[in-house]
Amino acid sequence: MFHVKHTDYDIIVVGGGHAGAEASLAAARMGMSTLLITLEKSAISRMSCNPAIGGLAKGHLVCEIDALGGEMAKVIDKTGIQFKMLNRSKGRAVWSPRAQADKIAYPEEMRRSIDSEENLSVLEDCATGVIIKGSIVAGVLTEKNSSISCKALIITCGTFLNGLIHIGLSHFSGGRMGERSAFRLTKSLAEIGIFSGRLKTGTPPRLKTSSIDFEKTEPQYGDEHPVPFSFQTTHFNPINVPCHITHTNPTTHSILFTGLDRSPLYTGVIKSIGPRYCPSIEDKIVRFKERSFHQIFLEPEWKDSDETYVNGFATSLPVDIQTTAIHSIPGLDNAEIIRPGYAIEYDYFPSCQLYRTLETKKIECLYIAGQVNGTSGYEEAAALGLIAGINASLKIRGDKPFILKRSEAYIGVLIDDLITKSPDEPYRMFTSSAEYRLLLRFNNSDIRLSPKGGEIGLLPKCFSSSSQSKRLISKEAFSFLKKTHLSPSEANSILSSLSENKVQSGISLFKILCRHNVNFSDIEKHLPSRILNKIKKYPHFEDQIETDVKYDGYINKQIRSINSLRKHEETIIPKNTDYLKISSITIEAREKLSKIRPETLGQASRIPGVSPADVTSLMILLKN
Amino acid sequence: MFSKNNSTIVALSTPQGFGGLSVVRLSGSKSLDIIKKIFTSSREIKHYRATFGQIYDLDDNSHLDSSVVTYFKAPRSYTGEDIIEISCHGSPYITERIVALCIKSGAQLADPGEFTKRAFLNGKIDLIQAEGTADLIFSLTKASHKASINLLEGKTGQAIKDCRKTLIDTIALLELELDFSEEEIEFTPVSKIISILSGLTKEINRLIQSYNYGKMVKQGFLVPIVGPPNSGKSSLLNAFLQEERVIVSPHPGTTRDTIEESFQKGGFQFRLIDTAGLRKTDDSIEGLGISRTLDNIDKADIILFIIDVTRPVIEFLPYFPKNANNIIVVINKIDIASEKQVNAMTKYFQKKDMVMTSAKKHSGIHEIADIMVLTAKSKAPKAENVIITRKRHRDALSKALNSIIESLDNAKNERSSEIIVVDLRIALEALDEILGKTTNEDILNTIFSNFCIGK
Repeated sequence: MFHVKHTDYDIIVVGGGHAGAEASLAAARMGMSTLLITLEKSAISRMSCNPAIGGLAKGHLVCEIDALGGEMAKVIDKTGIQFKMLNRSKGRAVWSPRAQADKIAYPEEMRRSIDSEENLSVLEDCATGVIIKGSIVAGVLTEKNSSISCKALIITCGTFLNGLIHIGLSHFSGGRMGERSAFRLTKSLAEIGIFSGRLKTGTPPRLKTSSIDFEKTEPQYGDEHPVPFSFQTTHFNPINVPCHITHTNPTTHSILFTGLDRSPLYTGVIKSIGPRYCPSIEDKIVRFKERSFHQIFLEPEWKDSDETYVNGFATSLPVDIQTTAIHSIPGLDNAEIIRPGYAIEYDYFPSCQLYRTLETKKIECLYIAGQVNGTSGYEEAAALGLIAGINASLKIRGDKPFILKRSEAYIGVLIDDLITKSPDEPYRMFTSSAEYRLLLRFNNSDIRLSPKGGEIGLLPKCFSSSSQSKRLISKEAFSFLKKTHLSPSEANSILSSLSENKVQSGISLFKILCRHNVNFSDIEKHLPSRILNKIKKYPHFEDQIETDVKYDGYINKQIRSINSLRKHEETIIPKNTDYLKISSITIEAREKLSKIRPETLGQASRIPGVSPADVTSLMILLKN
Repeated sequence: MFSKNNSTIVALSTPQGFGGLSVVRLSGSKSLDIIKKIFTSSREIKHYRATFGQIYDLDDNSHLDSSVVTYFKAPRSYTGEDIIEISCHGSPYITERIVALCIKSGAQLADPGEFTKRAFLNGKIDLIQAEGTADLIFSLTKASHKASINLLEGKTGQAIKDCRKTLIDTIALLELELDFSEEEIEFTPVSKIISILSGLTKEINRLIQSYNYGKMVKQGFLVPIVGPPNSGKSSLLNAFLQEERVIVSPHPGTTRDTIEESFQKGGFQFRLIDTAGLRKTDDSIEGLGISRTLDNIDKADIILFIIDVTRPVIEFLPYFPKNANNIIVVINKIDIASEKQVNAMTKYFQKKDMVMTSAKKHSGIHEIADIMVLTAKSKAPKAENVIITRKRHRDALSKALNSIIESLDNAKNERSSEIIVVDLRIALEALDEILGKTTNEDILNTIFSNFCIGK
């Protein structure tokens, strides 16, 4: 029955969230006939939780998605209602853009992109099973359309698989508040050897904006001179809608305490693990009893909306406790709750079952991407969706897989961490997880990645070639800055006005720019116009050059470290290695390695429980 | 390397030869089965119990020995596997037969160090403790025994782990500022970071400094006997041989071209080396010997500079190693010298450690040994401090130290946290090399357990 030569589609994507949107767009743009199956068309790219895109390290992911030819950055640039560069007081490597999103305009804009894609169809249905032939994917079973065949299948189901929503001690099935969950897919995957786990996440209540007294809160605006996410965005002039800050107080905390006996978290109803970096308010008051207040951000859900997101107040306490606690917060005395906060438990598929392409190790042409990988956040999901979409397409084309290294992109770090660490809590991207973060900056994403995006045929050539010219200009500028020296008097006229120490002898422009307080604009008059004009052709390009100069020694240090580890990263471990029989490594390492089955020695070295001595033993074995 | 995984190993665990008792040890899942084939007792063999019984030779069913068998059930044993220890009578024939019988019953002969290796692979001991075990077995003196015990008990590991913890806490403080700057958290001022890091460099420096002493303790203090020809070097060495308890050098190879003998005193081991006499020479072979002597002076922990008191000062003066520390001046041949000669010489060296000897008549030997012990003691760090005895540990600590110093400079120059952290992470990797660990999770774990994250 499944011996069909022609499939209905090249690629089917199950789930229309942030991962599904990027996966299906990438596949279609790479020439694949693609079907996106979603429970509800209007819910494509819906934001289940906070109305924001980007943030520390997450902003990097968005820029990387953009450089490869993904959609998220362009959509938020078009629809965002407040833009802010985070960590401005730190070095440029850890600056990260963040935007308040418009929860209505964002999905609409994404829908426009999807609808305008020729190769991409959308079907409202629910996938119930995976069809395989041998150990290769052949199609998908659905509720309404029985079976649909395909060459590759991408599962991007977010929190919808066996989703269970908790408010107080009551719970009910759902993939998101007001939306159904999907039941049978997990079981079908289990039957073909893909195991699952349970995770938990939560969201705060939404309030009626008109019932909030903003006089008692402090407004917080975005940047006056906002920076867009996408390197393709020109004429960027977004609106700047404020958020508002208020605080909980001891009264709030004592109200919350009285509800703990009806908390699904503290009564043991919820057993699965939630993200530690995004704890519920009840978690915060219990774990950090000494704190008398916690900050609350009131964020508009969309432009001119009458719905406000209470950032910092995720909770699954009963509605009566939520209401009284909210009313104890300044500005929220009479606030009306539109939807209470809740916790949700859902199935995920531990990523140790995946290759770095996000294809499963057990079933060929089956890809799993997004929050179902055990991540949290729109940006992580979108990045994973994009990589799955790209790799499924390359596989069908017969091209070599697309793998980003840890030294090349945050996306590389994300996927490598998911596979080797197989975290048991929802994974979030942090800059501290990227050991080469000085090289991986949001503002050099295009230089780093757009050639790759062009090579795989996702990013239009005109964009990938511009990064090539930027690379050359940067090189030219570097050598000019290094060889051009200023006399002490010329140099000191710059330095003294910036409260930097003066110099006694001549100094190169490069060294002047290395100084902490010196910006590119302070030295640019010393550059010949042939170089300067080229630099000015690209927006914010001088910042990139300045950053490269300021980090120069350290960037070299990181490049040396990358080179010294290259051998490990390139040493492939045979797929059939029987780790349990290797007597020269610790028992713990044998078990971990059998579970994760790393593709390279580099991956093996990052598995917790695998020591450097174990890696050395493995290396010796592989040599023989 | 792929084999032997589930094998049971056997070996004689006490030295070869005759003795009151010898111990043969079995480790592995079949230990109990194997012992039951060759050992009979009226009592059952139980975990943590010693059982008396008889060993029979399977070949001819003859009674081989009366022995005591002790059973340590996995995982509560040294290797983490089932262990049987057979205490038998210490005859080479008996032990050899017992090992052979065990092999016949399904055991394999253990490789050298395999019991410790298994303990390490089964997670019973860490790398540092494994190294400690090796050192303990070969420790000859009280001081080196103490150093190995520190390794074995994990004190050295603990000292390094403490440094590692300080480092992780500091990195976490800096990362907190980078990854959670939007949170409502009070960040640590850079002055505090500087003071933590300065403290850390002091501690790591102390560990590194202890290596020199550690090396002396482990390998013995190197004590070359140097001086002009015919001043009595060989006689002095011979005098030591007879007066102090001299043992065979445990370092074969080092004595190939020089005569070396070791002796212990005051809990220390000293390696006495007879060297070529120092003088001007055109003879190329003698020249080689002299340059080796100069080399020994450079490496020496203590120098015995011996002079013939009856000869004029001018003969040895050019060769006296003025810049070397820890010189004991041995004024020899006082039995044939005039009072005037002796007085002149003592006046000349009055500021140095000095002993009057007659190597020929064995006088003054104990006095030299006493000064050597005092010198060794003066080099020892405070009793409670851990010392580093392995070059592997010292090198990794030096790497860590250099990186921390670099990050300290960056902190003092008010550079941004992501730059300060680069070198601290390199330092952390260096410490993890010693401990055989892999890191990264620890930093985030520290952040989440100490700070209220999540707005």
